[in-house]
Amino acid sequence: MHWLRRWFHKSRAEKQLDSELQFHFEQQVADNIDAGMPPDEARRRARIEFGGLDQVKEECHEAQRGYFVETLVQDIRYGLRILRKSPAFTAAAVVTLALGIGANTAIFSMVDTLMIRPLPVRNPHELTFLSFPRDASHFDPGFSDPEFRQVRDQTRGVFSDVSAMILGGLGGLSGPTGRSDGLTVDAITRPAQTLFVTGDFFQMLGIRPYLGRFILPSEGNAPGGDPVVVLSYRYWKRRFHEDPGIINKAAFINGRPVTIVGIAPKDFLGPTPIVEMEAYLPLGVMTVETGGNAAFLTDAGSRDMLIVARLAPGVSIERANAALAPLGQQLIKQYPRPGVGTALQAKPLRPPGLVDGPNPLPALAGLFLTLSGLVLALACLNVANLSLVRAAGRRREMAVRAALGGSRARLVRHLLSETILVALFGAAAGMVAGTLALRALSSAVTVTELPLVFEFPFNARVFLYALSIAVLAAAIVGIVPALRASTGNLSDILHEGGRSSTSRSQRTRTALVAAQVGGSLALLIVAGLFVRSMRSAQDSDLGFDPRNVLNVTLDPGEIGYTQTQGVEFYSQILTRVRALPGVQSASLATAVPLDNFPSEEIAIPGYVAQRGELLRADYDAVSPDYFKTMKIAVLRGRDFLGSDTESSPRVALINEAMAERFWHGADPIGRNFKRNGDAQHAIEIIGVVRNSRTEDPYSPYGPAFYVPVAQSYTPAQTLQIRTAGLPQMIAPEVLAVLRGLAPSAPVLGVRTMSDVVTNGPDGLLIFNLGAELTAALGFLGLTLAVVGIYGVMAYAVGQRTQEIGVRIALGAQRTSILWMISRQGLAIVGLGLALGLLIAIGVGRLVGEFLVGIGPTDPLTYVTVSVLLSIIALAACYVPAHRAMRVDPMVALRHE
Amino acid sequence: MNEDRSEFLKGTLDMLILKVVALGPIHGYAIAQRIRQISKDFFQLQQGSLYPALHRLEDRGWLRADWKESGTGRDAKFYSLTAKGRKQLESEMRTWGKLADAVALILRTAE
Repeated sequence: MHWLRRWFHKSRAEKQLDSELQFHFEQQVADNIDAGMPPDEARRRARIEFGGLDQVKEECHEAQRGYFVETLVQDIRYGLRILRKSPAFTAAAVVTLALGIGANTAIFSMVDTLMIRPLPVRNPHELTFLSFPRDASHFDPGFSDPEFRQVRDQTRGVFSDVSAMILGGLGGLSGPTGRSDGLTVDAITRPAQTLFVTGDFFQMLGIRPYLGRFILPSEGNAPGGDPVVVLSYRYWKRRFHEDPGIINKAAFINGRPVTIVGIAPKDFLGPTPIVEMEAYLPLGVMTVETGGNAAFLTDAGSRDMLIVARLAPGVSIERANAALAPLGQQLIKQYPRPGVGTALQAKPLRPPGLVDGPNPLPALAGLFLTLSGLVLALACLNVANLSLVRAAGRRREMAVRAALGGSRARLVRHLLSETILVALFGAAAGMVAGTLALRALSSAVTVTELPLVFEFPFNARVFLYALSIAVLAAAIVGIVPALRASTGNLSDILHEGGRSSTSRSQRTRTALVAAQVGGSLALLIVAGLFVRSMRSAQDSDLGFDPRNVLNVTLDPGEIGYTQTQGVEFYSQILTRVRALPGVQSASLATAVPLDNFPSEEIAIPGYVAQRGELLRADYDAVSPDYFKTMKIAVLRGRDFLGSDTESSPRVALINEAMAERFWHGADPIGRNFKRNGDAQHAIEIIGVVRNSRTEDPYSPYGPAFYVPVAQSYTPAQTLQIRTAGLPQMIAPEVLAVLRGLAPSAPVLGVRTMSDVVTNGPDGLLIFNLGAELTAALGFLGLTLAVVGIYGVMAYAVGQRTQEIGVRIALGAQRTSILWMISRQGLAIVGLGLALGLLIAIGVGRLVGEFLVGIGPTDPLTYVTVSVLLSIIALAACYVPAHRAMRVDPMVALRHE
Repeated sequence: MNEDRSEFLKGTLDMLILKVVALGPIHGYAIAQRIRQISKDFFQLQQGSLYPALHRLEDRGWLRADWKESGTGRDAKFYSLTAKGRKQLESEMRTWGKLADAVALILRTAE
């Protein structure tokens, strides 16, 4: 009601001002008459002296405070009214901007979660992790327990807390398994990604548990002691449905008894932003993985610990590094590491977390932000075009308003407020659309074995980002038409009659649409590059044949099987599965290619490592027939046999790359080497196999070796079965065999090898995602461009209807009309193609490092995409041109 | 420079209006007349400057306005000085006096 009264007052104030000025006028007239003028003359004189009435009123108005706000509200109400009057324009503009802003919002949400959002702990910027540098972009973050203790004791001055953690599934001395541990509650066993931490880990983080308690600083020092577990909120919700009775419940990890004591806070995923740690246990309890072996707590050779430290208040990271330098030298002297510098360093623990090697995320983020920026530019161009067309239609209205005394600033503000309103609506719609699209993307990502949390929540930063680009879009779109519309010369405009498009504005629109075509072409080319890259990665020679192979991952260790029991279990499985119909071969492997393939340090007698050179090789523990199942050629020597057992001499097969690197072409058979996980025994090389991909489908081959699983037992192994027909078909029978042998043994995963290659995180998942994202952006861009072309052409035809009618009436051929109209379209497409190719080459440089098998200027992609886009664009031109051809001159000439 | 001068003049105008109104309730036209008369036609106020100024002063609370009978059969808006306005007038007159003295000093000694 208040605003109603104000409005009422306002009009009353205006009336009063009118009265006041009227009074003044009449007094002036009276005085003039008194001075001797005749009444008519008196009035005329007074009127001249009085000047512009409206201007006076305007200035009086301006003199009052609250003027600005009042006019702002007026502008907004006026803008809303105008927009409501032309719903087609408003809808088109809002939807277009929503697409552009939505795409940007979505991409930025991802960047925010992956790179910007700090960990939800106390003072996250104070957290650091320690490492030894290897070279410019690689580092070694692993430490042994003795090293950790020294670091902790000698850095009290610079770090307020120093804690260590070991990622579960790494198993310490028994070698990395890449598998998670099993948590048994109420006789049901499910995997849980574990993190083993020192007692002060949670104290260092400074967070409070959601329920129950955290691991205490006093816990976890003795091996096997204090078997407590803290679960993550999401795991607790997913598996136990937020049942508070889980606290103090008895449970088992890998068959060993533990007690669940607490739940971590809701938004806490662990020390990294995307991978979720599901169960936290004290370091000493890691014996559940090592089968009671506590060597990981004392052995200086096993370096699986990651050290995270919090800077003491007021201590900068530089000061910490200065204090760490002498400590680093001391550690290297005591516990030598080959190929590593001595400068122990603390690095900030920021998202994305501990990523060894050059971090691809900034480049990826830059690329996708650029691409979505391009989409936004296209959307703005579209809306700008629409605005120009509309503004052209309103030039008369604007000119008249300007002539009647509206200040130019006011006029521009009017037009801008319309644009800003459109942009704000577009931003709101875009934020909703972008968030929904991200949710769809998250749920579409295939579940992998590591618990990835692909959630990109909408927070204040994302909102601000969306708002700022909305304002930017409004500025880009609104300024030029507003300025142009407000400077019209009144008489020129009024004399133009119905046709209000000048050749200059027509050329501007053509240029804008050409820019749209160009931008769209660039986006599509990038999408095309990604798609081809994905193909090329898929087709790249893997060195093994993934077709018709089924992987069944088992872990009898999760139900407490000892090594003896496990060996027997696996042996039985192999026998029975091999007997199934349709099975060509079956074997076991500890690691499957492209799925967390482990690597290990090795020592070659007689080979000296250079500075920065890593004596490390990928390795796998496999059963006999592995190479037959995976179809990896054994080039020299022999495969493993049943006679290669725990008690016989250690043997291994190496790949070509390893043979080449360390023995330079000499026959390596008969030579030996040592590996870190089994340092006592010398391993004899009994054969050489062909190179095959281990970590990803495209990196160059590195050294790799294979040992018999009988000589390197781990409880978690993958049964691999090569079938004659589709591998999925055999799954039910294999599971039946399993249940017959050990009903309670959990099956950790059933997947075809092809699926691992295509969708695994080390496989082509990134390529797939990249291709999908860029294709989505490209498609958006294409839609915008096509709409733009069609709009401009249709408008041009509409404008020239009269002219066309005249020409036809004067005898012009229909086809020549078609050509006349199409010329403009061809110009747009031609110009757009040229521009697009230039942009694509520029953007190509950002894309280059993510492509496999093709370069950023791959001619096939460029040509194919250009041709496709041209066809679509020309089709968009043709439709209105065709309509121009069919114009009836009688109708056209009457059309104003 | 023009900006400064118009600001300066605006301030001076305010002061003159306040002074004229201080002598008793008076309507806009009469204010313009009186200022013209007393300054011997030096200040010829147009309504374009007068009325915005009056409204500004009213908005700031220095003038109060009432609609009264004007004697010509038509109601007119009469302005009078508020207490705040009186204080403002005194302050501005003091400032103006200091300004005038300072200018005079410079003009005299800078010969």
